[in-house]
Amino acid sequence: MITEEPERSGRARGGRGGLRDLQRFGDGGGTLNAFSHGFLAVWSLLVVLPIVWIVLGSFKTDNEIGASAWSTPTEWNLGSFVRAWTKAGIGGYLLNTAIVLVGSVFLTMLLGSMAAYVLARYEFRGNRFLYFFFVAGAMFPIYLALVPLFFMVRNLGMLNTYQGLILVYAAYSLPFTVFFLHAFFRTLPTTVHEAAMIDGCSHTRAFFQVMMPMARPGLISVGIFNVLGQWNQYILPVVLMERQNGFQPDRSMLAQGLANLLLQQGYSGDYPALFAGMTIAMLPVLAVYLSFQRQVQSGLTATAIK
Amino acid sequence: MRYRKYPFIVGFLILPVGLYVALVIWPYLQTFGYSLTDWNGESQAMHFVGLRNYGQLFDDPVFRTALWHNVLLLVFLPLVTILLALFFAFMLNVGGRGGTSGVTGVRGSSFYRVVFFFPQVLSVGILAVLFDSVYRPDGSGLVNGVLVKLGLEDPNHPFLWLSSPSASLWCILSVLVWSNVGFYLVLFSAAMQSIPRDIYEAALLDGAGRAGTFFRITLPLLWDSVQTAWVYLAILAMDAFALVSTLTPGTGFGGGPDHHSEVLSTYFMRNFQFFGKSGYACAMGVVLLLVTLVISIAMLRVTRRERIEY
Amino acid sequence: MIFEHGLPPDTLSRRRFLLGSALAAAAAAAGAGGLSGCAAGGGGGGSSSSSAAKSKSNPFGVDSSAPLEMVIFDGGFGSDYAKHFETLYSKEFPDAKLSMTATQQITGVLQPRFNAGNPPDLVDDSGAQQIKLDVLYGNGQLADLGPLLDAPSVDDPNTKVRDTLMPGTVAAGTYGNSMYDLQYVYTAFGLWYSKSLFAKHGWTVPTTWDDWIKQAAEIKAAGIAPFAFQGKYPYYMLVPIMDLAAKHGGVETLVAVDNLEPNAWKSDPVKQAVEAIYEIVARNYYLPGTQGMTHIQSQTAWNNGRAAWIPCGSWLENEQLKATPAGFDMAFAPMPSLSGDKLPQTAIRAGANEPFIVPAKARNVPGGMEMMRLMLSKAGSVAFAQVAHSLTVVKNAVGPNVQLLPGTRSANAAVQTSGASTFYWYYPSWYAQLETDLENATGELMAGRMKPADWMNACQAAADKTAKDSSIKKFKRSASLI
Repeated sequence: MITEEPERSGRARGGRGGLRDLQRFGDGGGTLNAFSHGFLAVWSLLVVLPIVWIVLGSFKTDNEIGASAWSTPTEWNLGSFVRAWTKAGIGGYLLNTAIVLVGSVFLTMLLGSMAAYVLARYEFRGNRFLYFFFVAGAMFPIYLALVPLFFMVRNLGMLNTYQGLILVYAAYSLPFTVFFLHAFFRTLPTTVHEAAMIDGCSHTRAFFQVMMPMARPGLISVGIFNVLGQWNQYILPVVLMERQNGFQPDRSMLAQGLANLLLQQGYSGDYPALFAGMTIAMLPVLAVYLSFQRQVQSGLTATAIK
Repeated sequence: MRYRKYPFIVGFLILPVGLYVALVIWPYLQTFGYSLTDWNGESQAMHFVGLRNYGQLFDDPVFRTALWHNVLLLVFLPLVTILLALFFAFMLNVGGRGGTSGVTGVRGSSFYRVVFFFPQVLSVGILAVLFDSVYRPDGSGLVNGVLVKLGLEDPNHPFLWLSSPSASLWCILSVLVWSNVGFYLVLFSAAMQSIPRDIYEAALLDGAGRAGTFFRITLPLLWDSVQTAWVYLAILAMDAFALVSTLTPGTGFGGGPDHHSEVLSTYFMRNFQFFGKSGYACAMGVVLLLVTLVISIAMLRVTRRERIEY
Repeated sequence: MIFEHGLPPDTLSRRRFLLGSALAAAAAAAGAGGLSGCAAGGGGGGSSSSSAAKSKSNPFGVDSSAPLEMVIFDGGFGSDYAKHFETLYSKEFPDAKLSMTATQQITGVLQPRFNAGNPPDLVDDSGAQQIKLDVLYGNGQLADLGPLLDAPSVDDPNTKVRDTLMPGTVAAGTYGNSMYDLQYVYTAFGLWYSKSLFAKHGWTVPTTWDDWIKQAAEIKAAGIAPFAFQGKYPYYMLVPIMDLAAKHGGVETLVAVDNLEPNAWKSDPVKQAVEAIYEIVARNYYLPGTQGMTHIQSQTAWNNGRAAWIPCGSWLENEQLKATPAGFDMAFAPMPSLSGDKLPQTAIRAGANEPFIVPAKARNVPGGMEMMRLMLSKAGSVAFAQVAHSLTVVKNAVGPNVQLLPGTRSANAAVQTSGASTFYWYYPSWYAQLETDLENATGELMAGRMKPADWMNACQAAADKTAKDSSIKKFKRSASLI
């Protein structure tokens, strides 16, 4: 595929005003235009309506929810949110999730960037093998490893502990993180690093004081993706964060807690509280995305140019 | 640059590699060990049976059905998701009326960008509740409600969606597409933003229309991102466990009606936890691992192209 | 994969994958040492169970200070009743620390613990995520409950526990030659209707299938769907089919099917039964969309008067407590008769279910058994009937002074009337995979995609497959109704 050479410009062709050409670019034909815009609008509806429906569900009664998906709430009170927070324990689940995520995302980023940096910028035997070894881990569904993993964590005495889940999350996030950051570190200019080394920095100091700050946009975006991925992780906590006996505290993650609520609805549970819980569960991730949206974009962009 | 390089390399790699081998690679390898036994999942008593489980797999019609469904998902999930995401990304970044400002997205593109990402924040549990109501088979379902109101459907014979053999798997596919498009839109947008403007300007001055620009410039320059998206969506298609097991009918992780939405992961879990055939399930898992691996490599090979430097 | 969609912008395309061969080599290595890898995970036997001296009032020798842990399936019966059991236990052993966990995910929570050899002391192993009892038994994970049956009853030390139970309870929990699980709840299966709705329209409860079908036309004409069912889970529809068959063929049919005899599913009683049920499909006598509805959706529609009949077990009332409108007056009816039935019309499928187990490797096996002995007391039984709105397997535990809800009362009366003609099916609890296959076929039948003849062929094929599979442990039922 050959692209046009950028040097070629409108003036070379003479006679035709660049401005008019520019305007014509937007006119892909009226019907196409209408179709495209219509399609965008329809897709927005398809996305927004279900989410509005979930939020509305928090204000309905059990019977309204059970009778029809199209029912509308008759009165607007926040009782379901209170019940979700207290009785259903969403508050506790959020706290557990926050504790684990702070640890696991930090560990993922630290270990991932260390490995990616070395693999990206140092030549040594087995480098490529190690790189693919990491990337391969991203290819397998987790549930295939569950049972041996359970025994592994058990032998470490870390079932239903924060540190156990933090280690596991970090391990399973490494493939993606290394993959992503490897690309990123390769794009950074070498000159700064060389200057630092000439100034007598050690490799380690050069990494932490020079390279890490330079890699900030990439670190932020991969960090966000890890937050998203670990936030929604379901099968790992179900296996590793169950109480091993009734004398242990409940350290369920949010997705796990939600699923428990969901299962209870099959046995005359509290539908509105379930919907309120779902609404609460959506908010933090949404907030993270909205506040870091620009960084995500720029972080991706930075890695996309090589 | 040369001083104390190797101690540093080893020092930096030992922790990540150690953690990764212990908690990720080793369990996967153990799964292979289990697949050679008659383990039934409730105790550690097991006997070595060699490749018997693998032999049974190839005589198992449900396994073949499930594999076929995964292949279908494997073709359609990446295809549909990437096409939609590309179209949206193009519209939001370079599809607008140029005017004097040159190449921009359509009106409201920053709004769309935020909204389209929404499904990404819903965890699987939420998707299950949501689409259970969307596909509810009587007039109270979100979809059937609309169809009945529009007179497109006889309320006495509503369409069964998830319980319909012809539609069940496609319903699952739709949910997967719906929840993933936003993410790839963001990915492709980022890549498009990084394409130098003057390339577009040049194409404009050459008189290229919207479609022409897309096929001659945008797509070739996005090829890396598309390829990556393809691999990841393929992996997602090989899994699909969470949705199939929560949404479709059938005892023990769904897959119904009568295996019409069965995928390898649900059949794996059912044998593993439900029928007490864990060794057999592990054999299935190993096959699944190999299939995933082969497909990923094949994908990358097939979609290889020369990179375009800009 | 923890992150379902990564976006490494780097190009993979220019790299060669060494991975395939590397992994194959690693896998081969693991295969060679694979079994040593399995052994690494092994939890051997659990820690030995604590115990004290046995006596008449403490028949299992419970150590009064040993903690006791229960895991209760938090389903149709809730878990509040377990708190009442804990109170009974604390009266006997005030020093014992008690803990009760309620969950719907029995497998998710307990499978790892069984594997690891540290299971709880008493488990209510039930629900969609039940750990199959045959699998647990086959692995030596269940404590023998024989001592419980022979222990003195709490209410009368001169009676053995065994003699206080409804017929069929011991059989339901028997594997090999002893009882390994206590099926605590006595459940009746049949058709359910609203007395007030029937009274309003002047409908009576039909006793023959022909009358039932005739009446269905009448119900449909009144603008109500004659029949709703829990289509998403075909388990529910397999029950009425097999109950019609059992009533038509009697012991012979029960034995043939449960013992996986050749052509059991092609026998005349099964044929009659499935053809009778198929009339509902052929004549459109069902609630639109019910083939895809969950139990909650269809039962709620039935509660709201959109359908006249629904098939279910006697947990229905408790499950629908919130959705049942005032004045609904829920009532139970046995399956109608086909012509030439061997069993009377009043015969119902009823039996013990909701299995409670004491894991063999539990820390406090005597405590788990003692808890069961307390559950089987009159006090335990009444607490359950009042809190969980269901009857237990304890004979005559619920006196006339105990208040019951209308549905429970009606089911209880049917149980008394059925008496000696009560029957029970065992294949669902014996053969998990067979049951799943049968349910798949039943789902197709009720959706009209399978004709009765095809259904019989599919069921027969599934039964033959199970009979042939040497890895599945087989059971035999005796020539009796229960």
